[in-house]
Amino acid sequence: MTIFPSLWARVFVAALAVTAVPQSFAKTPADQLIVGMSMINLLSLDPAAATGLDVSEINANLYDMLLVQDVAQPDRLVPALAERWQVSDDRKTLTFNLRDGVRFQSGNTLSAEDVAWSLHRVLKLNLALASTWKAYGFTAENVERYMRATDAATFVIELPRPTDPLLVLNTLATSPSAFILDREKVLEHQKNNDMGAAWLVTHAAGSGAFVLNDWRANDVILMSRFDGYWGGPAKLKRIVMRNMTESQSLRLMIERGDLDIAKGMSAPDIEALQKSDKVRTQTLQRGTLYYVALSVKQPMFADARVRKAVRSLIDYQGINQTVMPHYGVINQRPMPLGLAARLPDPGYTLNVEQAKAWLAEAGYPNGFKTTIRVLAEPPFINIASNLQSTLAQAGIQASIITGTGNQIYGAMRERSFDIIVGRGGGGAERHPHSSLRTLVYNPDNRDEAKLTNFQGWRTSFYSAELNQLIERAEVEPDAGKQLAQYRDIQAQVDQQVGAILPVSQMTDTVVVYTDVADFQGHTAATTRYKDVYKKR
Amino acid sequence: MFVMTASVMGARASNTLRRASTVLVTLLGLLALTFIIGRVMPLDPVLAVVGPDADASTYDQVYRSMGLDKPIWTQFGLYLNDLLHGDFGNALLTGHPVLDDILRVFPATIELATLAILFGVLIGLPLGVCAASNQGRLGDHVARVITLFGYSTPIFWLGMMGLLVFYAWLGWAGGAGRIDLAYDGMVPEVTGLLLIDTSLARDWDAFASALRHIVLPALILGLNSVAYISRMTRSFMLEQLSQEYIITARVKGLSRRQVVWGHAFRNILVQLLTVVALAYGSLLEGAVLIETVFAWPGFGQYLTSSLMLGDMNAVMGCVLVIGLIFVALNLISDALYKVFDPRTR
Repeated sequence: MTIFPSLWARVFVAALAVTAVPQSFAKTPADQLIVGMSMINLLSLDPAAATGLDVSEINANLYDMLLVQDVAQPDRLVPALAERWQVSDDRKTLTFNLRDGVRFQSGNTLSAEDVAWSLHRVLKLNLALASTWKAYGFTAENVERYMRATDAATFVIELPRPTDPLLVLNTLATSPSAFILDREKVLEHQKNNDMGAAWLVTHAAGSGAFVLNDWRANDVILMSRFDGYWGGPAKLKRIVMRNMTESQSLRLMIERGDLDIAKGMSAPDIEALQKSDKVRTQTLQRGTLYYVALSVKQPMFADARVRKAVRSLIDYQGINQTVMPHYGVINQRPMPLGLAARLPDPGYTLNVEQAKAWLAEAGYPNGFKTTIRVLAEPPFINIASNLQSTLAQAGIQASIITGTGNQIYGAMRERSFDIIVGRGGGGAERHPHSSLRTLVYNPDNRDEAKLTNFQGWRTSFYSAELNQLIERAEVEPDAGKQLAQYRDIQAQVDQQVGAILPVSQMTDTVVVYTDVADFQGHTAATTRYKDVYKKR
Repeated sequence: MFVMTASVMGARASNTLRRASTVLVTLLGLLALTFIIGRVMPLDPVLAVVGPDADASTYDQVYRSMGLDKPIWTQFGLYLNDLLHGDFGNALLTGHPVLDDILRVFPATIELATLAILFGVLIGLPLGVCAASNQGRLGDHVARVITLFGYSTPIFWLGMMGLLVFYAWLGWAGGAGRIDLAYDGMVPEVTGLLLIDTSLARDWDAFASALRHIVLPALILGLNSVAYISRMTRSFMLEQLSQEYIITARVKGLSRRQVVWGHAFRNILVQLLTVVALAYGSLLEGAVLIETVFAWPGFGQYLTSSLMLGDMNAVMGCVLVIGLIFVALNLISDALYKVFDPRTR
């Protein structure tokens, strides 16, 4: 006889029956694009404050810039809100003529005042993206003088200090700070003279091809088509981005057709999906580099021979062949691949004997103890493990300290580290100066200078000669001469053994469901979904 | 008579006061501890906001705007002051008031945890009773294997396997998220509990979608509760079944079923209340792994993301809510004690 009362038995059967809900073979809707991605670093949509590639891509669909990089040829800049632009003969003034009849999503008409105000607020608010503009000499105090609307359709930038106008144009085409806001709409939501900063964290006021309907942090972003878009309405009606942090969940969902695009997947999952005929992958090169950074504050790394030894102890080929597929491709120069000014790789390889010789000459025949700080996630941790083992072959005992990005780069900003395996660089600007400024340039090596946005400063590597060469090349008007100067700088960095040793150029692989057409990722993380459609 | 009533009332008032002050001190201690840990943790919320490449002036400006330049006890005092005025502060992660965020994410977790605890109770209780009634026999061994599985299998792995088998291969379950995206934003939000909201809207397609999405994570989440509840039930039942009144009842001719369910089980209800309440409490705060695998926008994910950013306003708000949940569950189980056990009245 059973001891179960019949009620229990019925409840148990009912519970099991619940699991037998009919199958769902959900396909994404034909007129919507469903994107799966991690939103953990998505903190603000405000163009003055938003850092990170994901937010840049979202904003590229909500806002417009004056000009944009050509998708097929990133070195070419093409008109967007500015129909045309001119650089004065003295290379000090840039004039932009705005497209006629552009309306914001609110219905307001775009004017040069909107452009000026959008860029002014970046400097006045002094949030995350202000440093890009400060590097050109703009300040909160002088920006109204140097960036101004001369009439409703003309916007002018005067350069506060000599620089290459092409560099500024590149910033306007790629920086997440260069999106143009609907001034009137934002000011409706201003509180305590904050220029709409609080409101823009979670709202948008742009002229882009899509309107932000809802953003539920760590959950979902909903965007719908803006039918009055100046470039013609988008082909899809709605974009839905869902927060998915687990790579294997992304893989299962895109394989079943419940996602159209999956971003931020792990290399093994991408590898597995490449065998599927339901999806295709698209790999994009980013402007940043994976590197091994040495702190020159540490006496051993102040010696160029020791830095040279460490360079000989990096297994560039092994790392790039085994660890980096889908994360990066080999690059040993402090400059992105594909730039005309970039010299070919110098061809460094793992050479333990040579490294031992350099160490012995520098007074460390038996090596030394040190630490490697690194993010506890692939590929950083894998690079660090590889480095740890090759350093050990020459007697350098390195212990690995893992942490979050916050902890690792925090220590680097404090100049309190020995070795860091990290990632950085000049971003998406297609200009040699951008990378050199970030990775090599260090105009003031004092701790109290706190030039934390210069990674060169963080390593305490200081070369007056290199600083001078970088400054000279930046303002060189002759393109041929400038090219030669940048090549000379690379040779000098090689010879002096900079403290940042590039290992790999960052790449990003996006997985796209097979029926999604005309999706083309941008290297500058300004991918626009306007022309994407589904072949059904 | 009047004097006695007054003294009883006085005792009750003082008891309530004592309990309220204990709760307050507990919550205050919890907040203070969390605040200190948050400040000691090597996480920099400023860097989370400005990014690693911001210059020093931007960093300093945000540092000051977050009040981090003030002494730690001043910061804590200001936080408490705001809290007393109902202001939990704004979250870095969302830019919204923390209270709004918690109210937004909590229903997702309540829905998941409630279904999971229902599963835990519906399977765990009979399983425990069955194990105790069949001690040393097949039923007991089967129950032991199930509970061992529930305790020892990593929930993250189980979630992935569940998705692979029931979602990807068989197509029985919905994938990640609370509902198919086609229904997202289509159902008016009343309670935040999708099964209820879709029912209220009489949108049965959306209801089916929500059900398909919740069943698998709830079952997996509930498995651990099944293990815990069934082991505790078995142990309580064994104690009861060895009592003399059970033998007397059997000798008097009651069936085994009547003795087990009518006598022994009834006597362990009070203890089980505490077990179920605690299991429910830990489901509410501890669903983070399952929420990650199933991209479930709930409380666990919110708390973990906030912790990773060093977003102390959000973390403190969450800790306060967790504290309140346990206090509430304790109060509820105390109240139910009185219902089930006349001696405590």
